[in-house]
Amino acid sequence: MSYIVFENVNKYFGTNHVLQDINLEVEKGQLVTLLGPSGCGKSTLLRCLAGLELVSSGKVYLDGKDITDDSARNRGIGMVFQQYSLFPNLSVFQNVAYGLKQKKMPKAQIEKKVKQILALVGLEEKINQYPSQLSGGQQQRVALARAIVTEPKVLLLDEPLSAIDALLRRNLQIEIRRIQKELNITTIFVTHDQDEAMVLSDMIHLFNEGFIEQSGTVTELYARPRTKFAATFIGNYTILPAADFSRACGETLTCQDVAIRPEIVRLSYTPNLDQDRFHLQGVITNSIFHGNIIRYNILCGDISINADVVYESGMPYINGETVFLAIKKEEIIEL
Amino acid sequence: MKKKTNIKLYFLALLPFLIVVFLYEILPLLMMILSSFRSEVDKSILFTLDNYITAFTRLAYQRAIINSLKVTGISAFFGIVIGFIGAQAFHNSTGKIKNVFLTILNMVSNFAGVPLAFAYMIILGNSGVIIQFAKTYGLTALANFDLYTSTGLNLMYIYFQIPLATLLLVPAFYGIRQEWKEANLLLNGNGFTFWTKVGIPVLLPSIFGTLSVLFANALAAYATAYALLMNNYSLLAINITGMFTGDMTTRPHLGAALSVVMMLLMLAAILINNFINRQTSKWRWR
Amino acid sequence: MKPKIWSTLIIIIIIIYLLTPLVATATYSMFQKWTDIVPEGFTLKHYGDLLSNQAFMRSLGRTILVCIIPILITVTITLLALFVVTVYFPKLEKYVQILCMIPYTIQGVILSVSILSLYSGSRSFLGIRQVMLFGAYCIIILPYIYQGIRNSMHSINMPMLIEAAEMLGSSKLEAFIRIIVPNIISGITVSSLLAVGIIFGDYVIIRNITGSSFQNVQIFLFLAMKRSSTEASAVFVIIMLTTFLITALVLYVQSRDNRQKTESKGR
Ligand SMILES: Nc1ncnc2c1ncn2[C@@H]1O[C@H](COP(=O)(O)OP(=O)(O)OP(=O)(O)O)[C@@H](O)[C@H]1O
Ligand SMILES: [Mg+2]
Repeated sequence: MSYIVFENVNKYFGTNHVLQDINLEVEKGQLVTLLGPSGCGKSTLLRCLAGLELVSSGKVYLDGKDITDDSARNRGIGMVFQQYSLFPNLSVFQNVAYGLKQKKMPKAQIEKKVKQILALVGLEEKINQYPSQLSGGQQQRVALARAIVTEPKVLLLDEPLSAIDALLRRNLQIEIRRIQKELNITTIFVTHDQDEAMVLSDMIHLFNEGFIEQSGTVTELYARPRTKFAATFIGNYTILPAADFSRACGETLTCQDVAIRPEIVRLSYTPNLDQDRFHLQGVITNSIFHGNIIRYNILCGDISINADVVYESGMPYINGETVFLAIKKEEIIEL
Repeated sequence: MKKKTNIKLYFLALLPFLIVVFLYEILPLLMMILSSFRSEVDKSILFTLDNYITAFTRLAYQRAIINSLKVTGISAFFGIVIGFIGAQAFHNSTGKIKNVFLTILNMVSNFAGVPLAFAYMIILGNSGVIIQFAKTYGLTALANFDLYTSTGLNLMYIYFQIPLATLLLVPAFYGIRQEWKEANLLLNGNGFTFWTKVGIPVLLPSIFGTLSVLFANALAAYATAYALLMNNYSLLAINITGMFTGDMTTRPHLGAALSVVMMLLMLAAILINNFINRQTSKWRWR
Repeated sequence: MKPKIWSTLIIIIIIIYLLTPLVATATYSMFQKWTDIVPEGFTLKHYGDLLSNQAFMRSLGRTILVCIIPILITVTITLLALFVVTVYFPKLEKYVQILCMIPYTIQGVILSVSILSLYSGSRSFLGIRQVMLFGAYCIIILPYIYQGIRNSMHSINMPMLIEAAEMLGSSKLEAFIRIIVPNIISGITVSSLLAVGIIFGDYVIIRNITGSSFQNVQIFLFLAMKRSSTEASAVFVIIMLTTFLITALVLYVQSRDNRQKTESKGR
């Protein structure tokens, strides 16, 4: 049995069926992310594991034990919330020590552990400050310290970085990953940001409207989205009805939709006649620089396709030019 | 199973609140309303409108209602005008005087009731300090001033409305933005056009909110008037009290009817205020 | 420049207008005679007499008692109710709000006579005058206590802080006492002080319910007024000083609170 198991978990808020028959397993020591758009039920699943919500039906196991009916305080789970949740009336030290005091740990030991963990998150010098004297990023690091100092079985992070600006965010992502590996702590991270999920995770569970759309490693999800939803949410796929695409390239496809990653589209002024590629012709309508990559938007009849080209040297294509597109058949994803 | 018992426990925590509110708010109020429909003469009649008819037709009670509305209206009007001027002056001034003013307003806003009546008697009573001066220096108009009349009552009510009105209006002026005044000047407006076209309309909800508080405040005031005029002046609050605790025979059912009338007036003030707030919320920003 | 001078002038006029009755009465209390412009014969005798007057000291003690007990009761029951409602039954919140705001429309006169006529005939403990008085005071201060507590609860994210404490091993009630109460204590203090001001200034409720058998300082002043205006003026000064002290405390706690808030925002 895996370390964490959700078994046929359902959750209703009134008539709103927020979690629909969720089956999900997490291995010990892994960091998995729950990725999905706002309102799809990620937080709710996390809160069901934490014991802050009770499941409507189904079972939750942790470390081989049925914890479905245990109260939040007895589950041994640590959590960092989306908003700043430090206790405003307590100093950084008192905040971090709160859980240890609750466990009736001797004073000297508490002090030692708190200092250790604050060193781990790089905030030793803030030990006597109050939350209102810290920046948002610092507050979330203290919240992380507070959650892991008690050595919980599982660490839950519910969009802990969503209120923090982009640059700092990237640093904290790397830091969280480092700490997680160092302590080898089983972690579930909730986010709606695909980049964040890719930086952090061993495993991603993609959520959609209360069920898991697809689970897999970062590369699996990126390279092989199984549904239209997955393709829209991850990567920068161009998704087209297969019928439209067939018309444009003159070959028949049996599936419903096709998803084309922009980096597999080759552009040239002359037609390329490889048999293992689809061939189209179109007019450049837009080009945008993303660092050293140019993303072209090409209108091929009535469909529009994106292509990423690494900028090397010479003149890039300009708007209005006619170009030929070649797309490897095996790289196209049929949905 | 476990969850159910918990829910009960939580209700237990709500219970003290519910008990106190039920015993001393809901039940008295309910009994008061029911009692207002019972007959003052025939104990067996449980529903009659006699008390209300008496309240509105007997001259004595009509006068109480009218007097109450009069002193309430007059004091609210002067209170809001002076409060507006005061709040505007506060808004336009800078430095230490603002703090001094605010502190004094806060202090004085608790100055009402018996102490207020007493202080007015000391300065404006029959042998009051100011009256004595006036007599010594031959200011007959002032020397003949009689505090123990409705004029004196109005004067005291206005006094306790002013600090309240000013304090309630001061925050509203923070809503008037400097840019609007500048825009008004750029559009060739002057101070008068600014206040009539922009300033007062923007402040209107606050003004009505304040008026409703002033109204309730004056209508319910008892001690100020009683300390000055005892039972010699007819006011709703004084008549009601008299009907329950008076030396003469008490008339609780009629008193209940007058109480209901007073509560309805109070409620009307609040509802009118809510209505105006809803009307103006369309263009108010948050 | 011009409007500023006007404003200052207006403020000064209003201040003079507001302070005249107070200053005049206070001056009156410290002199033997005041018939000309300058009062004559400075004396503190009125205060000496008053402070050695047993009846006055008793009424002062009683006033303090009738302030403290209802405030303790109301703060406790409102805290408990708001805790349960916000955490477990958020749907009930608006009903609690209505219950808490009704007293504002009833006010002292109606509340006191309705409680009096309901319980004065009762032979149980409900018929005891002091119990009725405490009940009435609890209700009359309810809107202020409720608003103070609710506003400060809304300024922190109470459900989340409680959940955070639960995740660290606390029970909900423990979290409430250790985390929430310390964070809203200044809101509770301010509204309690406002409530002290209201009860301290009450005349009608205590008069209607207990008559003059159970005097507070306001009733004492009322009766003193009929006896001797010099004695009453000393009572007046003591009442006003106490009221100002309460207001000063409110302003102090509020400004300290605001300072803390702006400091933390400035970061
Ligand atoms: N306590 C609640 N009562 C009623 N409905 C709720 C409650 N909590 C969540 N919901 C509903 O459940 C659905 C899922 O909410 P949830 O908070 O799990 O979404 P989420 O995926 O975490 O979204 P976000 O990324 O915005 O945090 C939403 O439709 C929400 O309205
Ligand atoms: Mg969420």
